[in-house]
Amino acid sequence: MFRPEHSVILGIGELKPSLDVKGQISLDLLARAAVLAIQDAGLDKGDIDGLLVCPPSEDSYFLWPSQVAEYLQLSPTFMNMVELGGASAAGCIARASLMVAAGLCRYCLCLSGGIWDPQVFNTREGKTAVMSQAEIDYELPYGPMGFNSGYAMIARRHMHEYGTTAEQLAKIAVDQRTNALANPDALFNRQPLSIQQVLDSPIVVDPLHLLEIVRPCSGAAAVIVGNKGPHRAPAHTPVILRGFGEAYTHNSIAYAPSLTTSAIKAAGERAFRMAQLTVKDIDLVSLYDCYTITVLISLEDLGFCHKGEGGRFVERTDLTYKGNLPCNTHGGQLSFGQPSFAGGMSHVIEAVRQLRGEAGQRQVSNNRRALVNGNGGTMSTQCCLILERG
Amino acid sequence: MTDYQQTYWEHIEEGSLWLQYCSHCQRYVFYPRRHCPYCPRENLEWRQTSGQGRVHSYTLVRVSALPEFKDLVPYIYALVDLVEGIRIPTNIIECAVDQVRVDMPVTLATIKREGRALPVFKPFQKQN
Repeated sequence: MFRPEHSVILGIGELKPSLDVKGQISLDLLARAAVLAIQDAGLDKGDIDGLLVCPPSEDSYFLWPSQVAEYLQLSPTFMNMVELGGASAAGCIARASLMVAAGLCRYCLCLSGGIWDPQVFNTREGKTAVMSQAEIDYELPYGPMGFNSGYAMIARRHMHEYGTTAEQLAKIAVDQRTNALANPDALFNRQPLSIQQVLDSPIVVDPLHLLEIVRPCSGAAAVIVGNKGPHRAPAHTPVILRGFGEAYTHNSIAYAPSLTTSAIKAAGERAFRMAQLTVKDIDLVSLYDCYTITVLISLEDLGFCHKGEGGRFVERTDLTYKGNLPCNTHGGQLSFGQPSFAGGMSHVIEAVRQLRGEAGQRQVSNNRRALVNGNGGTMSTQCCLILERG
Repeated sequence: MTDYQQTYWEHIEEGSLWLQYCSHCQRYVFYPRRHCPYCPRENLEWRQTSGQGRVHSYTLVRVSALPEFKDLVPYIYALVDLVEGIRIPTNIIECAVDQVRVDMPVTLATIKREGRALPVFKPFQKQN
């Protein structure tokens, strides 16, 4: 029988997010992250026999795993591309554990990132490239603003149903900025942020302010998943995958069963069931934060507070690395940056750092178990991982 | 264009919103497609809708990156729940951006945009 806890995260590698990567292509960044993760795991490149890649942002998708394997001169025994939008990175870890458990490979390299072209969403071609035919036919004629308008409607509906306020949502961005100040790699790590500053930033798509919206950038991250067992150079505390769970309900938010209760609920329940743990066993969280409302709904749906109480919960809870529910201690995508389409690997890597006790200035004191969530589309694809210090 | 896309847009050109209906599931289907997504039989029938609904949620677009919408800002992008049990993405027209509300009753209208008719919604008033 499949036992997720037989899989461990052996290596991590991450590039500092950047807004200027002239003269490089996505494969350059991915290769650098891969080398860092292989070194971190104490392995040689030749040991890597499994490969999972997230989609690139600007390059041709065509045979992308083959392109990556060729560039790095890997000869995997099993490989694939995982396309779950922002849940792709977490989805890679779940699938890598299955590959390792099935004996398809010993060491699976999971890769995410690439070059971000800031113009990609500012043209009709850029917008339609990430749209389904149904979105092109029945949404685009009305002038939606990509993912921004979907999450804006989620936030508006949550405000209507539960009285959630703009100040409460802003608190999430503020706490994550505090975390970023303690992360030398974060894009925004110089100035602290106040709730008023978030509310004073331009309303991009009502009711979402600029400082509640993810910052796309270039970067790359790599994670190596292997079997629990004797390894050549256990340089770091291994991190065990105790469980994972996924759930999918829709592609466009127009067809979601609910705007305010998401598939994170089912994904989280599945992960907790596999891990035989509950929300009370979790010390810290890495929650996919494309927008502040995403974090708030994730906290509710995962059971950290009751549905509808997310606003009041974040108001009274210190979400920084100093608090009792540390959340996105690297700064999250809001302050760390969202490298390429699928920034979610940064959430996995930060959880691993915290569980290893290698988070430096922002190290949390209770660091036995972490919950990581990846969210893709408009709350469309969900993957929860429960990680434990080995 | 598929036959079901064509049927949908032809009715819109005539000023009415027709949706597919599965007589087996007794449910309306949106967006148009070959199969009922619930059972999933083919041969869905077409039924005219009441055009009545409520705003489920909305957002105000103040700056549009799409060139053809640059002169239309600010505009209301919304999800409307039709009484037939269907949620449809749309614009709310004839409504000031500070007047739109969640749960506000709305009724069907059609506008011409880029040379073709488009179903949108406007605030429902009793004289309608």
